[in-house]
Amino acid sequence: MDKAKYRAMFLAEAAEHLQAMSEILLRLDNDPENRQEIDALFREAHSIKGMAATMEYQETARLAHRLEDDLDLCRKRGHISADEIDQMLAGVDLLEALLEDIKEDRPERNVDSYLQATGLSEQREVELQSSKTEVGGGLCSTNDPQPILVQIQLADTVPVPAPRLLVLLKRMGDFGTVLNSWPTQEQILTDKVNGRLLVQLRSHQPAEQIHAQLATYSEVEEISFPEHVASSNQDRSVLKGASVRVSTERLDHLINLTGELITTRYQLQNALKKRQWRDLDDGVGQLSQLVKNLHHQVLQVRMVSLQALFSRLSRTVHDLARTSGKKIELQTQGADIEIDRAIVEELVDPLTHMIRNAVDHGLKARESGTIRLKAWRDRDQVLVQVTDDGAGIDPEAIRQLARQRGLLTSSQVKALRDYDLYQLICQPGFSTSQAVTDISGRGVGMDVVKTTIEGIGGLVLIDSNLGEGTSITLKLPLSLAIIRVLLIESDGARMAIPIPRVIQAIEVSPTEIHSSGKQLMVYFQDAFIPLLSLRKMLNQPKKPQGGSISLVVSEVMGRRVGLVVDRLVGQQEVFVQRLSPPFDQIPGCHGGTILGDGQGIFLLDLQSLLERRKKAV
Amino acid sequence: MPGRVLIVDDALFMRNMLADIFTQAGWDVVAEAENGEQAVAMYRQHRPQLVTMDIVMPVMGGIEALKKILQMESEAKVVVCSALGQKHLILDAITSGARDFIVKPFQSEQVLEVAERVIST
Repeated sequence: MDKAKYRAMFLAEAAEHLQAMSEILLRLDNDPENRQEIDALFREAHSIKGMAATMEYQETARLAHRLEDDLDLCRKRGHISADEIDQMLAGVDLLEALLEDIKEDRPERNVDSYLQATGLSEQREVELQSSKTEVGGGLCSTNDPQPILVQIQLADTVPVPAPRLLVLLKRMGDFGTVLNSWPTQEQILTDKVNGRLLVQLRSHQPAEQIHAQLATYSEVEEISFPEHVASSNQDRSVLKGASVRVSTERLDHLINLTGELITTRYQLQNALKKRQWRDLDDGVGQLSQLVKNLHHQVLQVRMVSLQALFSRLSRTVHDLARTSGKKIELQTQGADIEIDRAIVEELVDPLTHMIRNAVDHGLKARESGTIRLKAWRDRDQVLVQVTDDGAGIDPEAIRQLARQRGLLTSSQVKALRDYDLYQLICQPGFSTSQAVTDISGRGVGMDVVKTTIEGIGGLVLIDSNLGEGTSITLKLPLSLAIIRVLLIESDGARMAIPIPRVIQAIEVSPTEIHSSGKQLMVYFQDAFIPLLSLRKMLNQPKKPQGGSISLVVSEVMGRRVGLVVDRLVGQQEVFVQRLSPPFDQIPGCHGGTILGDGQGIFLLDLQSLLERRKKAV
Repeated sequence: MPGRVLIVDDALFMRNMLADIFTQAGWDVVAEAENGEQAVAMYRQHRPQLVTMDIVMPVMGGIEALKKILQMESEAKVVVCSALGQKHLILDAITSGARDFIVKPFQSEQVLEVAERVIST
């Protein structure tokens, strides 16, 4: 069988089964005697086993087989214990890691340690005897020797290592059964070698004997028998699939649209030939409608629901509850909201972090608590919010720290509203502070969250009520590639600011400008915000005075600022392109786009523009 | 533990060199063949303990000859000889059942190391 052809399909499907497994397990946590759920869980494990065995992914199949066996016992018993749920979850994690191995074309990691360490073995014996059902065939029998690892290092001088390793690998087969090898035979055949071979071998021959036989190869420099294989960290393989499953319905839609586009092209060509301007006009109208539709449909293909992410986070909450001994209820809402898959990938770490914070700090002194994870759509933005009903952030503690650390002057501290103060916890200096963690119960690594979210054009908003809880909201663009921007003009040059970064675009009259020392301020939503001139930041000449002043209100480093621009041009959807060298070196720009009239414009990154300005000062 | 060997190579120079190495070490060179077809015929006739087989040869190449010999005798011990640049051919030969390989240009110790190991296993 041509495995490569089916591999992507296998990976996508297995990942879905695994996700289903963790979801069911988490539900069983609250309802351990739900037979239907246990049955469903059993079927999922069974499916994975079957698929993996067909694809000859031995370790994956062995592990899935074990899970299936264990679940079969639970099924007969009619309930699953909390320990068993944890064990199963660990098994699901290991399966995810195996899928990652398969995806990366690595040999599958060995699952022996899991099979030995876990399993309902004792119960299994008893229950097997009573039920006389045959379970567990195909797993290693007790007579088999324990597998050992043999590592061979070739001398650097060996001219062609691949064939030598292949000969050695085949030779290993003479000693016993090769369970695994790194590199695999396939990798050796495609010359993916580095002079080292690690083999997992089940052999009746003692290590000394194997050593002696391998030592007859003069190319072999070193032979060792390591105890463990270092396993790489488990990662978020489920979310990181490079392939996308697209419903045939969606594909059909795309094909239909393409067909209509072709028809329209002929209409247009005809109209042009006959110089029938009316038809030409109609055709162009039709064309723009179709292109808009096509654009929408193509974007849909990249969209995934937040389901996988949310179930992963449920798992995080489950684990945290276990380790902290707290009773934590997680309420989720809006898991069906769809967002660009690239954004979902970027959300894993920040949200995991926010949830950890909520448990570790928000619910610090409590036995139990509730965390709400909510997503909703607001026009072309997606909002994801994590709320806890914990201690909340103490604004006074932040005021004090901000003064101590010299981040703000006493007068600034007084002038800042509580809401603006909360945003300060995302400052690097704050978030690493142990003190604020202890007092306010929040803040570890929030700067990382903020950097990540702003990196994908989003915004982090923090709100809190002392004694009632904290909520952190992420405002995110729907898609990374196509975003809505606000076009502005400065000294004749057009530039764009991503809409999620814009709080409001307003025009104010010169009389509304106040000055505090050298700093110009404007009153916006019951607070004074400082004004910054874009021309000044970009070293453009000063704008002649007069007329109303155009402002873009944005939030930079936790503070609201008013960016003075020459003109607010309007909003538009643009396709963001990465800047290629040397343009990627321009500070304050994070991408570019080409407008309908062919004009190339830069996307402004206010954060880095301001940071640069600070450094310059 | 010298034994009986069949040398297969299309170059007379290579055959002579290999024959010298084996003879000096006490081996019995039972026959020499200059292409795959001859090699198969001579194997049938002499049933040597070892075959050294060049890979790239006219009439019938080494890998095809190797397969034919293995069909005749599945335990046949064939070592392929090949130039450095023909890594994929060597890999191919090993997958097809060659016990080991020698890379040209070779030294007599290497040839004998491989030969002795192969017939002793």
